[in-house]
Amino acid sequence: MNNKSPVSDASQTSGNSTGRGGRRTAAPSPWRADAQPGAPRKRKSSRREEPGSIRALNPGWGYVFTAPFFIMFLIFGLAPVVYSTYIAFFNWDPLELEHPFVGLDNFALLLDDGQFWMAVGNTFSIWFFSTIPAMIMSIGLAAILRNPNLRGATFWRTILLVPNITSVLAIAIIFGQLFGRDFGLINLMLDIFGFDRHIDWITEQVPSHIAIATMITWRWVGYNSLIFLAAMLAIPNELYESASLDGASKWQTFRFVTLPQLRNTITFVLIVGTIGGLQVFAEPLTLGGNFNGGDSRQFSTLTLFLYEQAFVNNKWGYAAAVGIMITLIVLVISAINFWLTRRIASEDAK
Amino acid sequence: MRNLKRIGALLLSVFVVLGVVQPAKAATPVTITIWSFGNVIEPWAITEYKKLHPEVTLQIKKGELDAHHQSLITAFLAKKTPDIAAVEVSYSGYFRSYPSYFEDLRKAPYNVGTIEKNYLDWRWDQGVGYDGTVFGMPTDVGGMQVAYRVDLFKSHGLPTDRKAVSALWPTWDKFIATGQKYNSKLSAAEKTSCTKKKICYGFIDNAGTIYNAVLNQASAKYYENNNTKDGKLVYSTNPAVKKAFDTTTKALKANIGTRINSFTSDWNVGMNNGIFATILAPAWMMDYIKQQAPKTKGKWDIADLPGGGGNLGGSQLTIPKSAKNKTAAWEFMSWYLAPAQQLTIFKKYGLFPSASSLYNDPALKNFKDPFFNNAPVGAIYTAGALKLKPIFEGKKQRAIDNIFGQALSRVAIGKQTPAAAWQQALSEIKKSVG
Repeated sequence: MNNKSPVSDASQTSGNSTGRGGRRTAAPSPWRADAQPGAPRKRKSSRREEPGSIRALNPGWGYVFTAPFFIMFLIFGLAPVVYSTYIAFFNWDPLELEHPFVGLDNFALLLDDGQFWMAVGNTFSIWFFSTIPAMIMSIGLAAILRNPNLRGATFWRTILLVPNITSVLAIAIIFGQLFGRDFGLINLMLDIFGFDRHIDWITEQVPSHIAIATMITWRWVGYNSLIFLAAMLAIPNELYESASLDGASKWQTFRFVTLPQLRNTITFVLIVGTIGGLQVFAEPLTLGGNFNGGDSRQFSTLTLFLYEQAFVNNKWGYAAAVGIMITLIVLVISAINFWLTRRIASEDAK
Repeated sequence: MRNLKRIGALLLSVFVVLGVVQPAKAATPVTITIWSFGNVIEPWAITEYKKLHPEVTLQIKKGELDAHHQSLITAFLAKKTPDIAAVEVSYSGYFRSYPSYFEDLRKAPYNVGTIEKNYLDWRWDQGVGYDGTVFGMPTDVGGMQVAYRVDLFKSHGLPTDRKAVSALWPTWDKFIATGQKYNSKLSAAEKTSCTKKKICYGFIDNAGTIYNAVLNQASAKYYENNNTKDGKLVYSTNPAVKKAFDTTTKALKANIGTRINSFTSDWNVGMNNGIFATILAPAWMMDYIKQQAPKTKGKWDIADLPGGGGNLGGSQLTIPKSAKNKTAAWEFMSWYLAPAQQLTIFKKYGLFPSASSLYNDPALKNFKDPFFNNAPVGAIYTAGALKLKPIFEGKKQRAIDNIFGQALSRVAIGKQTPAAAWQQALSEIKKSVG
């Protein structure tokens, strides 16, 4: 859901700024060609009286229009959350008819579970390897795409989304062959460059995290660079003009004009990336072909661990407790992000 | 012109007649939904059944082994089950505890009591619930033997005739010794490739597969049947488990295997390139080898498994209680699992029949497979299946199998000593199973 809003924002802002850089405020409203730009107050009042306009409707209709979302959210969002919170207090074997109440036992066991903490560590390690390089790459790509002299810009912008719409399973199969230890393409390349041993992309911990992170990066870099591109196109041209008048080099322009203007976008991409990163599932599953995340659980992630508890060990109560812990972790991280954003905002105000 | 018109009119009338007659003849169309995995329902059966029953459409959904059984559990809870569900042996122990979710095939209209005698007893028992309910009928037997590369055996100084090869390894210790002998004949380049952590050439694809082969030769695994729903856990005290574990770690220490795991892309390539010379092959794997390594045709042969017969895999077909078309489902299922069809499936795809009434049939006994150097695969796998003792499949044995498998992999890559891996496995099982 969250992912979609920036794209529509992006198309609007880019549409405006590609026209004529600095004159956005003076542009006439597309909805009312006859409206007088000089008389906003009068226009407002006339609109209110106009029959059939949205403003003339009973405000109660607003609830009707938003209802589909909330109904879907209640059924597919809130209800499962409530239900899984409920079963987290039980010893819940799915096919059993009786489920004994165990109170907080599931949570106590979980906090003491080395496998759980290992999954936490793995998840953050994979998040680190996938988010940070992906961020740098997508800002770089966006900077290239922003170049007005680029030929076939629409083509390049469109093609960036292809990895994002490719099935995760297909990606995993292809990458599984790339990262094969004995006959994988990457190890064969290492051979050609005279590297004298093969890297085991599955049984070694850090290489396995890099392999998974590569899949995630490949999938999301294009999407993120579109978001950055939209943010870059919204930067007023005056800033660049004055920078070039001051004799700033290309790098300096990027460093002191573009990057500071991207702060909010970076935070946004970071938050969305973190929430996605905490839910990494298909990539480690297909890399190992098993729900345990490798023989030493070296790439068992939080959601993989949850799935394993629920469907391999048939402990739904315990799995629900894992789910609640994931929610808590997301909350903590979102709070940190929120705090960071506010700090950045107050720095801007200085 | 007039002739043409006449022919046209004639044709038209034929079409009309056909059009009128056919719907009257055909029974009401039925769709049977089947959930399976791998190659449990072979394509030949689908086309053949369509010929026999044009009104029946078989709708087959194939999943991965684990995902298939996991979605079956949720389907039971939601009462949105298929008409036929395949249950693999490693999960039959689990569903044995919950027979109430399945149709009891002893009752009418199934009445399987009359055909039970046609099937191998221990395979039949894998479809019997703790309360005696018959919830599934056996498909194939995953009888296990050794598939070996004749050309590689020859070049590495080993005999090539299947009788002589079988005589090399009456026991697992002899099997490991043969592996060491094979590896000593590897070229210097092949040896350094492995020490340099590149491709490892070796006798067997993955020495870890020995574990299940040895364990399934015992009379008990992780559970003891005490006729209760859950069975009694004996994984830590049953000497057969420790023996299987120790035999495997011994093979791992002797380095007779490559580092390749089964069913990976490396495995498929290795099969073609002669990276390894043997695979512990259940009958159903013969077709997999044919599919993945067609160019190795004639280079393979089949020898006996060390230590007596072996088994890995095999499934039951079941009819869930909430199935919609139970009669049609039963009609297909009983046809598909009847001895005649099992024989055809074996000849075409190598799924070894669970219908023991076939075991004396010359059509099975004399069946030779050119891909495997004309080995009499029918006779070889029959002998193996008959040597096996019935073994009790426990409730959470899939999870236990996985944990022991991981422990052995840690030993294989040198991360842990066998003793430490064993201890960790026991504590992990205690935690997740009990």
